Amino acid sequence: MRLPAWLAQHIAALRALLVMTVLLGLAYPLVMVAVGRIPGLSDKADGSLVAHGSSLIGQAFTDKDGNPVAKYFQSRPSAAGDGYDPTSTSASNLGPESVVDTLSDNPDDAKQSLLTQVCARSLAIGKLEGVDGSRPYCTSDGVGAVLAVFYRDGLTGPITRVVSVNQTGTPFLASYKGVTVEPAKNGEDYVAEGGVITPIRGNAPAKPVVPSDAVTASASGLDPDISPAYANLQAPRIARERSMTLDQVQKLIKEHTDGRALGFMGEPGVNVLELNMALDATGN
Amino acid sequence: MTLLAEKPATPSKSSAVKGGLLDPQQLWKSLPGALVKLDPRTLWRNPVMFIVEVGAVFTTVLSIVDPSALGWIITVWLWLTVVFANLAEAVAEGRGKAQAAALRAAKQDAVARLLRDGREVAIPATELKLGDIVVAEAGDLIPGDGDVIEGIASVDESAITGESAPVIRESGGDRSAVTGGTKVLSDRIVIKITQRPGESFVDRMIALVEGANRQKTPNEIALNILLAALTIIFLLSVVTLQPLAIFSKAYNAAAPDTTTINQHGVSGIVLVSLIVCLIPTTIGALLSAIGIAGMDRLVQRNVLAMSGRAVEAAGDVNTLLLDKTGTITLGNRQASEFVPVEGVDALRLADAAQLSSLADETPEGRSVVVLAKNEHGLREREPGLMTDATFVPFTAQTRMSGVDIGARQIRKGAAAAVMKWVRENGGHPTEQVGEIVDMISATGGTPLVVAEHVDGQPAQALGVIHLKDVVKSGMRARFDEMRAMGIRTVMITGDNPRTAKAIADEAGVDDFLAEATPEDKLAYIRKEQEGGRLVAMTGDGTNDAPALAQADVGVAMNTGTSAAKEAGNMVDLDSDPTKLIEIVEIGKQLLITRGALTTFSITNDIAKYFAIIPAMFAAVYPGLDQLNVMRLHSPGSAILSAVIFNALIIVALIPLALRGVRYKPSSASALLRRNLWIYGLGGAIIPFIGIKLIDLLVQFIPGI
Amino acid sequence: MAGWLFVITLLLALVAVHRPFGDYMYKVVSGRRNNVVERGIYRLVGVDPSAEQTWGVYARSVLAFSAVSILFLYLFLRIQDKLWLSLGFAGVPTHIAWNTAVSFVTNTNWQAYSGESTMGHLVQMAGLAVQNFVSASVGIAVAVALIRGFAGRKTGTLGNFWVDLTRITLRVLLPICVLATLVFMIAGMVQNLSGGTDVTTLTGATQHITGGPVASQEAIKELGTNGGGFYNVNSAHPFENPTAWTNWLQIFLILVIPFSLPRVFGRMVGQLRQGYAIVAVMAVLAIASIALTVGFEVHGAGTVPQAVGAAMEGKEVRFGIPNSATFASATTLTSTGAVDSFHDSYTAFGGMMPMINMMLGEVAPGGVGSGLYGLLILAVITVFVAGLMVGRTPEYIGKKIGAREMKLASLYFLVTPALVLIGTAAAFATGNNSTALNVGPHGLSEVLYAFTSAANNNGSAFAGITVNTPWWDTALGLAMLIGRFLPLVLVLALAGSLARQKPVPESEGTLPTHKPLFVGMVVGVTVVLVALTFLPALALGPIAEGLS
Repeated sequence: MRLPAWLAQHIAALRALLVMTVLLGLAYPLVMVAVGRIPGLSDKADGSLVAHGSSLIGQAFTDKDGNPVAKYFQSRPSAAGDGYDPTSTSASNLGPESVVDTLSDNPDDAKQSLLTQVCARSLAIGKLEGVDGSRPYCTSDGVGAVLAVFYRDGLTGPITRVVSVNQTGTPFLASYKGVTVEPAKNGEDYVAEGGVITPIRGNAPAKPVVPSDAVTASASGLDPDISPAYANLQAPRIARERSMTLDQVQKLIKEHTDGRALGFMGEPGVNVLELNMALDATGN
Repeated sequence: MTLLAEKPATPSKSSAVKGGLLDPQQLWKSLPGALVKLDPRTLWRNPVMFIVEVGAVFTTVLSIVDPSALGWIITVWLWLTVVFANLAEAVAEGRGKAQAAALRAAKQDAVARLLRDGREVAIPATELKLGDIVVAEAGDLIPGDGDVIEGIASVDESAITGESAPVIRESGGDRSAVTGGTKVLSDRIVIKITQRPGESFVDRMIALVEGANRQKTPNEIALNILLAALTIIFLLSVVTLQPLAIFSKAYNAAAPDTTTINQHGVSGIVLVSLIVCLIPTTIGALLSAIGIAGMDRLVQRNVLAMSGRAVEAAGDVNTLLLDKTGTITLGNRQASEFVPVEGVDALRLADAAQLSSLADETPEGRSVVVLAKNEHGLREREPGLMTDATFVPFTAQTRMSGVDIGARQIRKGAAAAVMKWVRENGGHPTEQVGEIVDMISATGGTPLVVAEHVDGQPAQALGVIHLKDVVKSGMRARFDEMRAMGIRTVMITGDNPRTAKAIADEAGVDDFLAEATPEDKLAYIRKEQEGGRLVAMTGDGTNDAPALAQADVGVAMNTGTSAAKEAGNMVDLDSDPTKLIEIVEIGKQLLITRGALTTFSITNDIAKYFAIIPAMFAAVYPGLDQLNVMRLHSPGSAILSAVIFNALIIVALIPLALRGVRYKPSSASALLRRNLWIYGLGGAIIPFIGIKLIDLLVQFIPGI
Repeated sequence: MAGWLFVITLLLALVAVHRPFGDYMYKVVSGRRNNVVERGIYRLVGVDPSAEQTWGVYARSVLAFSAVSILFLYLFLRIQDKLWLSLGFAGVPTHIAWNTAVSFVTNTNWQAYSGESTMGHLVQMAGLAVQNFVSASVGIAVAVALIRGFAGRKTGTLGNFWVDLTRITLRVLLPICVLATLVFMIAGMVQNLSGGTDVTTLTGATQHITGGPVASQEAIKELGTNGGGFYNVNSAHPFENPTAWTNWLQIFLILVIPFSLPRVFGRMVGQLRQGYAIVAVMAVLAIASIALTVGFEVHGAGTVPQAVGAAMEGKEVRFGIPNSATFASATTLTSTGAVDSFHDSYTAFGGMMPMINMMLGEVAPGGVGSGLYGLLILAVITVFVAGLMVGRTPEYIGKKIGAREMKLASLYFLVTPALVLIGTAAAFATGNNSTALNVGPHGLSEVLYAFTSAANNNGSAFAGITVNTPWWDTALGLAMLIGRFLPLVLVLALAGSLARQKPVPESEGTLPTHKPLFVGMVVGVTVVLVALTFLPALALGPIAEGLS
């Protein structure tokens, strides 16, 4: 009995798929797994594990309440789960104009904009390191400095009302172009009410003291590195906490700084786990 | 009456193809026709303009329901866009119709003198059937297309060719075809009708120039598909914008409602305007006019194409088969040089040659006399004054001609015959004559040996007259152009290969076919086509019919037989084989015009985006006003200016569509570069200027 | 500066391998001999390797293989909990299983799931990674079939799909993958079957370090322009992309086949310069796009990047901003969709560039195979307009572009924009845009990006949007399915139509399709005809955001 052409074709297709599955789906990866058992390679193939984690995977150096442990260099902010959770990797995915917080009485409904997250982190790091944590577009209390400006004719005309959308307390500006700035109320959507969102630059330095990687979440949520600038910012605190000289700490930072690969690939980074482990190893 | 008033005076002089001019009055006269074409049942065949019309209907309804100045003005201009497109087609057709009307006038009244059972019966020409035998005498109009089967007559064919000189039509041979509507000037001929009723040449010509049974050509269909695809994509791009616009407007609550956008999204009038501006209206409006005008340009050159497909194929031709005689060379050979044998001075030879040719009225003979006069100052002697001279005419047996002047006998003719005569008369031909003869033959010339015999002395060969084919002036340059265009020219001749090669070299053709029989021609065409090439040829004889039919572009001479005309897909009413080159150029020009306007139409869109997008959305996101690079006055004026520009550019380009873009034969690279700069870059820049200028005017309209 | 050097070295490396690798692939697809393994496979499959297929048979073979693949993968995903190495994960829910099956078979690798919390190791290697291989081979095979159409002399046949599939997989993809896996393991990529290790961090918390056959999957993920990551964060994950140089290598692997295929084209049609012209078009578009993306990201416009001082949100320190932007360009210029940084957090214009790359139809250089056939279609359309301008009915590589060819090419280039535009509009019209994380123009961008990515079989995302709802899984699944197979069938039909033609000899009057002018024209057509179609939609998304 001859099979109809279409059926024969699909049977051939199924056979082909099965052959490919055995070859590419089993033989190939399993052989590669076997190759990965070669001594010298197996450590890497198993995830570059070290005493307290993986040297490739970043981790949070915070206590149970999420506060920084002062004797350790701190990693970047992470959006992976509750932070550095390899079973829930993620980036924040907030856009460049994410500047309006959702304020709510119910903390579960409240959502911080990316701008406010950045401002809050900067402020916190500034405090922790004892430096100026101010940034452009940030209020001094660490939220996004953003106004909703209401014009008589929508987008034009005289200003009728101004609200500082991210602050329920005292607004960062008393008045905007002669109009008194009101604080925001929980649950209000000022964009929907017709406000024109107007971020206010403020007079913070264009190059803030707290480096950019310190205030932004990484792509993976597992970034093992921080920039040398951020490491150096933390160095005085570490030296203080561990009663080391600044030079000692800076020397360690240097030792754990990976330059650009071949001099031009990527950016220099400091592996925080390795650096912290090296710190612990100094016994201070 | 001259039918084809627009026929250029010197069609073949300039290599750049010229077209008819556009009379502004024609636009006005064609307006009623353009309005009739608004009927959607006819318009839907043009998908681009059909969409515009649907849009215009839509905005009309919107303007009635919710009247606004902007709405009404845009509506008017949308309707004008459709009318302008129809106008282009109507003008193109109108020009054809004028010619058709004249042709029809020529066709009326004719009464056929039908021969039935040996008796003559007068019937209306329209009732003639295939195979009927009719008689036509001096003063009669020939009642229908046919072949002369008896007699010879001079015929005035000016009604269809525009050529006032009468032509000879006779039974048998290649000049037997007559065309209905032409007039017998002398004598009597009997004609066998070769047409079916209503299918005469003139009927077909009328139908073609009127565009009545115009079918889209393959390339036109392909282009239409592309245009339809572009139309669909822009339609989608605009229609799908609406939910996004509604979302954006709703999000940005601060943005006030405007005439262009409110909480229900972008207004219908603006959406339609955007669609109309983006879809390729320019080429969509002019496409069929370009096609009709292309046929028209052929007709103006007295070439009748049986289909638009043939015109397109002409643009694609890779190989041109050209008959040597009449196309590449002047009709006849001419004396170019006297080559004396050693011991004879050139003057003596020239004198003898001239004497022997005095009574020879053939072009060759005349050329010998003229050459002797020009080169050696020998005055032409009147044969009648030379009383002692007896002229010996050329016969097929002797293959010589000459003169006997008293005791002096001079002969000229083919080498073998003259040398035989020399030997017979006691002469001793030198080897040198043979050498000269061979040399001349080798260069493709025809040697005529001149010999003299004075009674009592041995005959003596004086030398050789070098007759050669004279290549028409300018042909080499023409063929160089052809080569630059990528077209191979092949000379067809009955000459022997050696002669053929020499002429081919001189004329600069790429190849030649010597001692060509009709079968050779057919075989050559097949061989070329086998290699994927398109072949064009001319022909007139019945035996050319298979080759004409095989060729991709077969141009039959109007003087030719009916069989040849049936086999070809074009007829040259002037019977000028050189026309083939012009036909190719017209074909190319037609395609170039289409391509250029398509490019123009597409690149136009860039400016329109910059006019309309900020106009639509700056009301929601003020930042988008930065895209308003033309700094147009207001959203309304921007949209209106784009729509007006879009409509006016159609009218502005009608002359170009009818005339065809300027075409200078050159390589594909050069053509592409030139047309891309002019129509691509021009198409990108002109609308920026045009829209801005229109905006400067329309901003004064209140409410815009 | 280092950022530009990164791009330049990539370009140089691609230029260096273009020729030998292109020649090698040419030999693979046009050689007559089959080796022992291949003959064994043909016997197992039950096909005659010498049988030449018409376009119809070729297309039906592709479709049958893909249909069986979707069904197989769907079932595999559904019952993974019953099989080994599932790591305790449940069977994948229906709509995600459908979406994922379609996604991997169509070479899209859109991930409506999070790898580390959904997929067991077996389904990753024997389900998903297998499709990474074969869907890439299918793309290359179809491109080769189209080239055979151009090169064919009135034969009407396009080769044999089963032979192409087998040879491309075994001789091109597999050897490079084996090599790449080794290199990746040396760099620190994981390659084991472990379910993971719990470790105690320095501060005493517990961290679950995952395991799995990552390196072997990573190799084909990039080489086959698939992009489906082992983990949710794809090539940003330190286990998928541990160092700056693996980042370079991954971009190289993404681009190497698409940039070398034009050489195969040149060889097969017997005119190398035609291949160079095509690769030149790809290069011009790619370089422009990379330069713009890197420029926009380094410039760092926008409120948050200004506040931060750099567009560092969603980027890894070890890659930095310029290299991340380069990766983003490469992954969207091809149909890869792997990411080493998160496009959603890019600057407005920096994030628009990946969208535009995809909107161009992913032709610069595009997915493996699909990029070449997409660009050849654009070349055909360009030839049509340009050909008219030189006064001939258009022809490309000696084949006439008539009504039938034009119909197929036009339909091809209608399909993806139609899917993107209709899909996006439908999401808004039905309110399904509400799953976007961001608001306003950026939220619109997230929706537009999703459909652009799905219809163009890219797989990257403005990942803030939540798409594992039944509506999104179904809609994007359809977009992927239609966006892959309708164009593919049209391409094969075009190939069949071309293969039946007798080639027209070239002459001075022929449009030169190998000169810079033509290259420029194809670039122009791609930008004006394709990209501008999306300008109105982009105006309400990234452009509105960027110009605010």
